[in-house]
Amino acid sequence: MLWQSGGGLGGIALSSLLDNNLAANSLINSSTGGLAGLPHHPPKAKRVVQLFMAGAASHIDLFDYKPELIKRHGQNSDFGEKVEAFQNGLGPWLKPIWDFKPYGKSGKMLSDTVSPLGAVVDDITFVHNVVGKTGIHSQSTYLQATGFQNPGFPGMGCWVSYGLGSLNQNLPTFVVLPDHRGFASNGPKNWDSAFLPSQHQGTMLKPGAPNPIEDLFPAPQGNFISPSSEAASFDILGKLNQLHLNLRQGDGRLDARIRSYELAARMQLAAPDAMDISKEPKHILSLYGLDHGKQSFDKEINAIEEIDYFSRKCLVARRLLERGVRFVQIWSGCDNGFPRRNWDSHEDVERDHGPLAMGMARGSAALILDLKQRGLLDDTIILWTTEFGRMPSSQGGKGRDHNPYCFTNWMCGGGIKGGVSYGPSDEFGFKPLDRKNPTQVYDIHATILHLLGIDHTKLSVRNNGIDRRLTDVHGHLIDDIIA
Amino acid sequence: MPSVLILYLVAALGVEPAKVDFSQDIQPIFKKHCFACHCETSSKNGLRLDLKTHALAGGESGKVIIPGNANASILFRNIAALPNARAMPPKGVRLSSKEIELIKTWINQGAKWPDDGSEKSNPLAWWSLQPLTQHPAPLANSSWINNPIDSFILAKLQQKQLAPSPLASKQTLIRRLYFNILGLPPKPQDVDAFLNDTRSNAYELLVDRLLASPNYGERWARHWLDAVHFGETHGYDKDKLRLNAWPYRDYVIRSLNSDKPYGRFVAEQIAGDILYPGNPEAIQALGFIASGPWDFIGHAEVPESKIDGRVARHLDRDDMISNTSNTFLSLTVQCAQCHNHKFDPITQADYYSMQAVFSALDRADKPYHADPLIAEQFVKLQSQINATEKQIQTLEANLPGKKELAELDAQIKKLQQPAQGKNPAFGYHSAISNNQSVNKWVGVELKDAANIDKIVLHACHDEFNNIGAGFGFPVRYKVEISDDSSFKNAVILNLSDADKDQVNPGLTPVVIPAGNKKARYIRLVATKLAPRQNDYILAVAEIEVLDAKGKNLALNCLVSSLDSTEAPIRWAKNNLTDGIWFEPLGPSAKQILELQEKRKSLYATLVPESERQKLSRLQSQLAEFNKQLSSQPKPQMVYAGTVHSGAGAFTGTGANNGKPRAVHILQRGNIEKPLDPVSPGAISSLLHSPSRFTFNENEPEGSRRVALANWITHHDNPLVWRSIVNRVWRWHFGKGIVDTPNDFGKMGKLPSHPELLDWLAADFRDNGQSIKRLHHLILTSATYMQSSAIDPNMDIKDSDNIYYWRMNRKKLEAEAIRDSVLKVSGKLDSSMYGPSFQDFIIEKPEHSPHYQYHLHNPDDPKTFRRAVYRFLVRSQQQPFMTTLDCADPSLLVDKRNETLSALQALALLNNGFMLVQAKAFAQRIEKEFPKPDQVEQAFYLALGRKPTPIELTNLHAFVSKVSLADLARVLFNLNEFSFID
Repeated sequence: MLWQSGGGLGGIALSSLLDNNLAANSLINSSTGGLAGLPHHPPKAKRVVQLFMAGAASHIDLFDYKPELIKRHGQNSDFGEKVEAFQNGLGPWLKPIWDFKPYGKSGKMLSDTVSPLGAVVDDITFVHNVVGKTGIHSQSTYLQATGFQNPGFPGMGCWVSYGLGSLNQNLPTFVVLPDHRGFASNGPKNWDSAFLPSQHQGTMLKPGAPNPIEDLFPAPQGNFISPSSEAASFDILGKLNQLHLNLRQGDGRLDARIRSYELAARMQLAAPDAMDISKEPKHILSLYGLDHGKQSFDKEINAIEEIDYFSRKCLVARRLLERGVRFVQIWSGCDNGFPRRNWDSHEDVERDHGPLAMGMARGSAALILDLKQRGLLDDTIILWTTEFGRMPSSQGGKGRDHNPYCFTNWMCGGGIKGGVSYGPSDEFGFKPLDRKNPTQVYDIHATILHLLGIDHTKLSVRNNGIDRRLTDVHGHLIDDIIA
Repeated sequence: MPSVLILYLVAALGVEPAKVDFSQDIQPIFKKHCFACHCETSSKNGLRLDLKTHALAGGESGKVIIPGNANASILFRNIAALPNARAMPPKGVRLSSKEIELIKTWINQGAKWPDDGSEKSNPLAWWSLQPLTQHPAPLANSSWINNPIDSFILAKLQQKQLAPSPLASKQTLIRRLYFNILGLPPKPQDVDAFLNDTRSNAYELLVDRLLASPNYGERWARHWLDAVHFGETHGYDKDKLRLNAWPYRDYVIRSLNSDKPYGRFVAEQIAGDILYPGNPEAIQALGFIASGPWDFIGHAEVPESKIDGRVARHLDRDDMISNTSNTFLSLTVQCAQCHNHKFDPITQADYYSMQAVFSALDRADKPYHADPLIAEQFVKLQSQINATEKQIQTLEANLPGKKELAELDAQIKKLQQPAQGKNPAFGYHSAISNNQSVNKWVGVELKDAANIDKIVLHACHDEFNNIGAGFGFPVRYKVEISDDSSFKNAVILNLSDADKDQVNPGLTPVVIPAGNKKARYIRLVATKLAPRQNDYILAVAEIEVLDAKGKNLALNCLVSSLDSTEAPIRWAKNNLTDGIWFEPLGPSAKQILELQEKRKSLYATLVPESERQKLSRLQSQLAEFNKQLSSQPKPQMVYAGTVHSGAGAFTGTGANNGKPRAVHILQRGNIEKPLDPVSPGAISSLLHSPSRFTFNENEPEGSRRVALANWITHHDNPLVWRSIVNRVWRWHFGKGIVDTPNDFGKMGKLPSHPELLDWLAADFRDNGQSIKRLHHLILTSATYMQSSAIDPNMDIKDSDNIYYWRMNRKKLEAEAIRDSVLKVSGKLDSSMYGPSFQDFIIEKPEHSPHYQYHLHNPDDPKTFRRAVYRFLVRSQQQPFMTTLDCADPSLLVDKRNETLSALQALALLNNGFMLVQAKAFAQRIEKEFPKPDQVEQAFYLALGRKPTPIELTNLHAFVSKVSLADLARVLFNLNEFSFID
């Protein structure tokens, strides 16, 4: 059962009246605020969680086992072709930093540093032949987040919100939980609505902050506001706006704006509750690794701290999904500063990837188990992604350079097969084994939209002369991974 | 079969074959065999065979049909599967020999492809490409009509059986005009004065007064800045600030206020530097070319020798030409990057020709002089210098002995080059400190204790903040050596200098004798750090620890430090002992001196006295000009499209004298698949002027931009004039005559009033291209002055108000709301121009700047200026303004999204800015009005009218329970505050 507060369907239909891009209200599904006529076909999934590892996570150290690298460790690398490295990444072959072991019925080999995912590996499909377009973080992050390399395009969550609308009446449709240490490349542009109406942009949530949603409550300068003056203000706003509206019949925007204030009031109640994990029972906190009892953490990057950060977000995500948030995006890793707190391990894979991966694996495994035990995994897709992979060769030391030629995504739930490894990479994890048929981000996006009941070729918006889609002019369903 | 035989026979006999008819014979073949891959829905290799222009233009690999020569036509060669051809179609049924022969004949007969008159077969017939025709305004006998606009509107209304709405009240009109022209609310006194003004032309006088206000330029510049996606950071990763972008914004405000003719306004933004030399505005205007996002990493960290670097530069030009064509021509030329435009007659060659116009440029700070007199002087001196240099060159080129002298010159020049370029491994860099007197240290641990003869410190070289040599070298420092790592018994080697400020050594190594003392640990303790920008650091490239034989014992030894900024490759602790530092001049100065002496004597013997005198006179002239030039005030900067001369990966074309980069058509837009090179040009389906520009090879790059500017602003270019009048119309009415202002192509909307659009465009073009005149015409039309009330009888027939039977009620933009709040609260700082105010705090500027809006104090009066002066960040847009639908500076925004959401309600209720201003407004009311009048006057200030009795009763009841600040907050949140009737 999904949890919802009262308020009537009036709140939901808000966007239907407000969108100057849609010529007529009839184009809108009045109960969700999404497009009329969607879904295009019966969906298998209703919700999505996107886990984004900023900085480029190393597929070969986490999910894509390459014994050949162990064999050739330390030998001069030879790619059999001219390779342009982003930095100086063509040093000797570097074996996986951690040991790999088989897990689950599928016997999938996973690195020790993501071992918690072993418990759910039979629910997951790994796609090992994803290819990017450049080795530049910014463009590649845009590509994975929005389907385009340059700024100015809506994030995947925006498209889903625009097409399918909301499942709830008092929370945003698309919620983003950024790494609390800072934004990844491109910052909030990764979840910007661009040319879609602004209510479809990702709403940033900062659990624990005084204003977990921007301006949810009065800023400190509003010290003149008391609970009673707040209530009186809402009351008179409604009255005067109604008088104004009475003389201006026929303009739906005026009515919609009145209702937007009602929705705001409801959100003030619903959002803090959705983020309050203090009432979660012990066994759930322990499932997520949040029972460590620590109040502060070491200065150096460490696994317990990373588990705490990532798991908290995963647990909040579960609570949001239960309350009808349709799309949750969780980020691990901030921008390139020092000390390094992202996956861009040019210097030392072990140092950064170790704690980050353990945090990610613990949190995401818990989320999968938790959704499963609540029956929500069946119609919730989890997508794990990053902007590109890392090279099988070292940079002379303990780090790896960018590898946009091949990396791994994984997905589970919501109509995705379990225990599958799809699209192998070559023996080094340098490029896809079948170079002619790699997986592109368009294919991942097309498949997810398909599971949500959307034909990716039909969800388009005309902007400056082009009918824009999440998948540009590309995208093929990956039939082999759909259950 | 017989017919085929006959055809062959005829061909063999050399008799003219029968005339092939395209529609009857050829089109069906294309349809049957080719359309699956070469039509509107799928155009493989960019080729379409369903449209004449596309088919004749060819695909990515060029033309496929050469009229009159089937054997040279790829189309024929492929379908006939001739040797080396790519047999077509690749799969499925091949063409029959009869079909192949028909196509061959058709091509040999000239590939005649008749226009059937439909748009499909003749894209050039599209409305927006037609010349402007000035239809006379329809004759209509109605007292409603104020000017020709109304004649066009009324004719259409009558045709659609609609009728105009009544004239809006004066109360409504003054508020409408204020917001429309100034973006600010009228003061109660202004409203009173207008309501009491009984002159028959009171309204017109008000229009003129408002158009003359400097606030007009501020309001309308913001519209223009939306269209050209003006922003003040780069966007992408490492979103650095552009601190010199604002002069372009000021340029737009000034140009609008001075009512600069539109053609000149356009031309200046493309080629102002060449067309109007010495005019500072014409340089500021070039900010247009650089206004959009820029991939910092793709340029500054990846050179053009790499694929990613070339992709970044290709995308950079793509942005420049998208901006140019969407803004000035309302055409989406960017759609032709990978293939010919699918809908409009824009070829891929057109697209790359436009890229070639800008291919010498990059985005960078460009110097200019704001004072026209100084600018003029500057240009004059510059041209005198150029002329003198040329004279000297000519003279030298003809000197006897020039060959010998040139050889010597080359030798000297070579010796003067630095021996070693800049190695990317700069050195060690401490964490940044706000306090210069904080102690910081960095040290080396030798493998074993050793006797040390001397220690050599090498300073760094980094262009950051133009510091260069000696970057980060401490002002005061100790060099200590010790036996133990705790430095308990340390010896200070530079004791006599340790408490004095030291002159920065630049790149000269600092040698500190160590007297052969034995030690294992060496450290440099900075007691007074080096200034960087507004902060302090310690940086050192290398510490050498030399024994008596001169061997560096520290090489590759372990480095430790108090703290460190680890930013490899450039900055890393380990760089301190990597044996790499920036080398100063390599060869000895002595060698150079000798050569110079040799040159002098050679010169004296080889060159006759007269020539020498002439040359020395010219050289002293040149020196004098240079001296004058250097005594001129330092130029200002504008971030603009310019020939860039840079270092590192971002070199630009400056080193190549601004020679444009070669631009090729790219197969599928792929930088790795260049096809034919293109010459600079524009769009070939516009016929008013040749669309390819020809230059001789040595022509400076600016000529290309001048040619494009002339092509765009040509009297007979129909798009440029239609485009601007439609934009202005849309900004007044909230809806365009063409409601896709950036796209007059087939994917755009059709004009609702094509005759009116042409009339306005031609009238505008032929009457000084005055935007203010156009405003006046629109604002004084009866159409504009209608009420915005919705008449249900009309609404049924035209609910979108396509035909203007009423005025549109408008929701205020983010800027207008913010400015109004400030105006009403009494806090608006109306100072104009200059650097933008920043309503954020920047953290971590050295890597990717974090723009922290929530750390900014909303009480800061520096931010109480109009929103057009707000600093525009791309990666992290201002949350409050973004929630209110302000334009995204990464997008070409011809019309803003208009939304209403709970987040907007929350922003207006709770944002710090709103609450600070609510308090200020309350204070203002308290101060200016006696208590009984406060509610009424506050309402009047906020909404431009007095409250009705029922509103007043409600408000009084409310205020009796709450504070005046609560009242102010409510007034700012009313629907009426955000909507203009």
